[in-house]
Amino acid sequence: MENSKASDQKDSRFPYRKATPFHYHKLDAESPRSSNNEIGFSPGSDRRFAFSRQTLFHQSSVASGDSVTPMLSRTSSSIDIPLNKRGWSEETFLWGEEEGSDEKPSIFTHLLSGFRILRSGNRPMRRLLLLIFLNVAYSTVELCLGLLLGRVGLVSDAINLTFGCGLLTFSLFAMAASRKKPDRIYTYGYKRLEVLSAFTNALFLLFMSFSLAVEALHAFIQDESEHKHYLIVSAVTNLLVNLIGVWFFRNYARINLVYRKAEDMNYHSVCLHVLADSIRSAGLILASWLLSLGVKNAEVLCLGLVSVTVYILVMPLFRTTGGILLQMSPPSIPSSALSKSMRQVMSREDVSEVSQARLWELVPGHVIGSLSLQVKKGIDDDRPVLQYVHGLYHDLGVQDLTVQTDYA
Amino acid sequence: MEPQNSKDHGHRIEVSADMPAVEKGYGGNRVCREVTCGFSDAKASSQEAKERSASMRKLWIAVVMCIIFMSVEVAGGIKANSLAILTDAAHLLSDVAAFAISLFSLWASGWEATPRQSYGFFRIEILGTLVSIQIIWLLTGILVYEAIARLIGGTGEVQGRLMFIVSAFGLVVNVIMACVLGPDHSHGHGHGHDHGHSGHDHGKGAHHDHDHEETDHNIHSQTVNIDIHHHDEGHSKQHMEHHHIHREADLSQPLIDSCAREKKERNINVQGAYLHVLGDSIQSVGVMIGGAIIWMKPQWKCIDLICTLIFSVIVLYTTIRMLRNILEVLMESTPREIDARQLEKGLCEMEEVVAIHELHIWAITVGKVLLACHVKIKLDADADMVLDKVIDYIRREYNISHVTIQIERE
Repeated sequence: MENSKASDQKDSRFPYRKATPFHYHKLDAESPRSSNNEIGFSPGSDRRFAFSRQTLFHQSSVASGDSVTPMLSRTSSSIDIPLNKRGWSEETFLWGEEEGSDEKPSIFTHLLSGFRILRSGNRPMRRLLLLIFLNVAYSTVELCLGLLLGRVGLVSDAINLTFGCGLLTFSLFAMAASRKKPDRIYTYGYKRLEVLSAFTNALFLLFMSFSLAVEALHAFIQDESEHKHYLIVSAVTNLLVNLIGVWFFRNYARINLVYRKAEDMNYHSVCLHVLADSIRSAGLILASWLLSLGVKNAEVLCLGLVSVTVYILVMPLFRTTGGILLQMSPPSIPSSALSKSMRQVMSREDVSEVSQARLWELVPGHVIGSLSLQVKKGIDDDRPVLQYVHGLYHDLGVQDLTVQTDYA
Repeated sequence: MEPQNSKDHGHRIEVSADMPAVEKGYGGNRVCREVTCGFSDAKASSQEAKERSASMRKLWIAVVMCIIFMSVEVAGGIKANSLAILTDAAHLLSDVAAFAISLFSLWASGWEATPRQSYGFFRIEILGTLVSIQIIWLLTGILVYEAIARLIGGTGEVQGRLMFIVSAFGLVVNVIMACVLGPDHSHGHGHGHDHGHSGHDHGKGAHHDHDHEETDHNIHSQTVNIDIHHHDEGHSKQHMEHHHIHREADLSQPLIDSCAREKKERNINVQGAYLHVLGDSIQSVGVMIGGAIIWMKPQWKCIDLICTLIFSVIVLYTTIRMLRNILEVLMESTPREIDARQLEKGLCEMEEVVAIHELHIWAITVGKVLLACHVKIKLDADADMVLDKVIDYIRREYNISHVTIQIERE
């Protein structure tokens, strides 16, 4: 824990931990253009918002004192991602200036955006694009071969691969689109897309595990085992392509991972996807090898094993992304810390009641909350209370807090 | 929410009846206490529970019918030794799975909020519908794959007549289920009474809004009684409305409930199941057409594949709208029916309000909207009064009952 704290403080990857204004969203673009998610309704309002944020910043830094507070520690049982990737968080403003919607782009726009990603995307995006390209090429070749030779197995494998490719493309799209600045309709920005794509990937992997189990059952009942033999070449190639993918995303090849930013989830899901595919190919190769050795029911065993493995791989990711999408309380903030903060707020003499503390995570690392205070009557200026509460919750890791004060 | 508070602070100042809160406006509940919050509230939750049980009943009927027909098909398929019928039975099995997911999400969304899930379990509906739509896509993909495999593999002759009969049977089944799950037009008599009330409304557009108001009035019908006597000035229109509604409350209660049930959209899970059934019937129509053509002209086998492809595309197209709704909720975006710019403009038109920032409007599930914003007021304004006005305005005009406003001074 210590070394990660130290490396946090000197690592410029996490700029948002160093400053403590009320408004967190500002910090990822240090441009003077300040209308990130502030909905200004008149042209002159930008300066006013910047001014107000500045005064609040001064007040809050006075109130909270220490401005380089590390975040609350995560659960100690997970393994941290090594903090050695430098270029991953650079904000290449790929989609920042785009104004159009991404709903129905044409093929031409796809190609253009593909080239743009190649040129200026960050490293994982480029790697993912390369991976998708490899997969598409491989599955096209397989499809053509299968159609020409009339082998159903090849065609089915190609279609299976195409589904996977479609999902990876959605992940890539989510990576690219999540950099857009928040606008009027999506007031929290587009970062949730990454969580959504991670969830979709996890769902697809669950479906795959389920279908492998059904296939194992099928093989168990029917006891026909020849058709696996001609797929060896395709299985080996599939395995190689997927192992390349695992190598690209090797930092995320773990089951339980601490997610610090939104992209972590997406990368983790892509890595698990590729890993599961490679496990499946390896299982097929193993099954046909065992069959050639004469082991009975090898197919059932291998398929069942692969299905269980993929299920175990995917379940933690599925549960975490599901928790974020369900607006669960952030697991990174333990409830003891929450109740301690509430007690501290209540112990102030001008506060009579705290109710409705609701916290949720937009993306990993960005917690939003709302709180309701009952303040004793007669206190006219509630600014100290507000600052105190904001500072307290900021130390917990809640960047956005809306506090409603009622005068009882 | 209650268990959290009672666990965390040993003492709580329980303010149950809002008697001293004189100028609270509109029902007297500005801060959602545990009892009268819009999410977990006695009256609203009983109405929701009624709706939920109605939706669950529909889904149960659909599931039971599905299971009956599926067993009929399995028996017939084994007897006739036909793969097509067994495939259709497997399709019905996947329908049952999707309905089971919808039922589970419906049931789970009624659970009480816990400290870990402070907003309740309403989001489970959305995720459940997402999963069942993914199942639709998966099934469509499998169908397309099988059509291609049949074409390539050339599995003997395709029996047009059998295809036609099986798909006709499937179509009948699906149409019956669609009638069960679809929109019901049975509560027409409630309309007249409703129109009578809308004259006293503040003239907000949809009956939808008006309906929510009725519901809210029924929720606070106890506190309404007290508040009528405490309202002094400024809320004369509401005063009249309170009287009117209060008198009519007992008479129109059952009618209002039925109106509410019809006016509100169908539950999103029922909508998802309906989409599922609709997709199946579209596919059945496609297979019927293909089967009829092959029956007439047995050499046009590739018609099967073409029909499957066309109708799969149609099925996917029907799911896009619901998928878009789901995505918007999951991305925490401003719901479509609320115009954020107008809301902001309306708020800024109040005299004491200087600026609004960090306005976030998002939905927990379709129909339950929350709002959070920071309001900057003039230095000499009364924060309490401004808070009241703002919350009242938002509740009145936009029907967002769950609001958190942070008042900051200039």
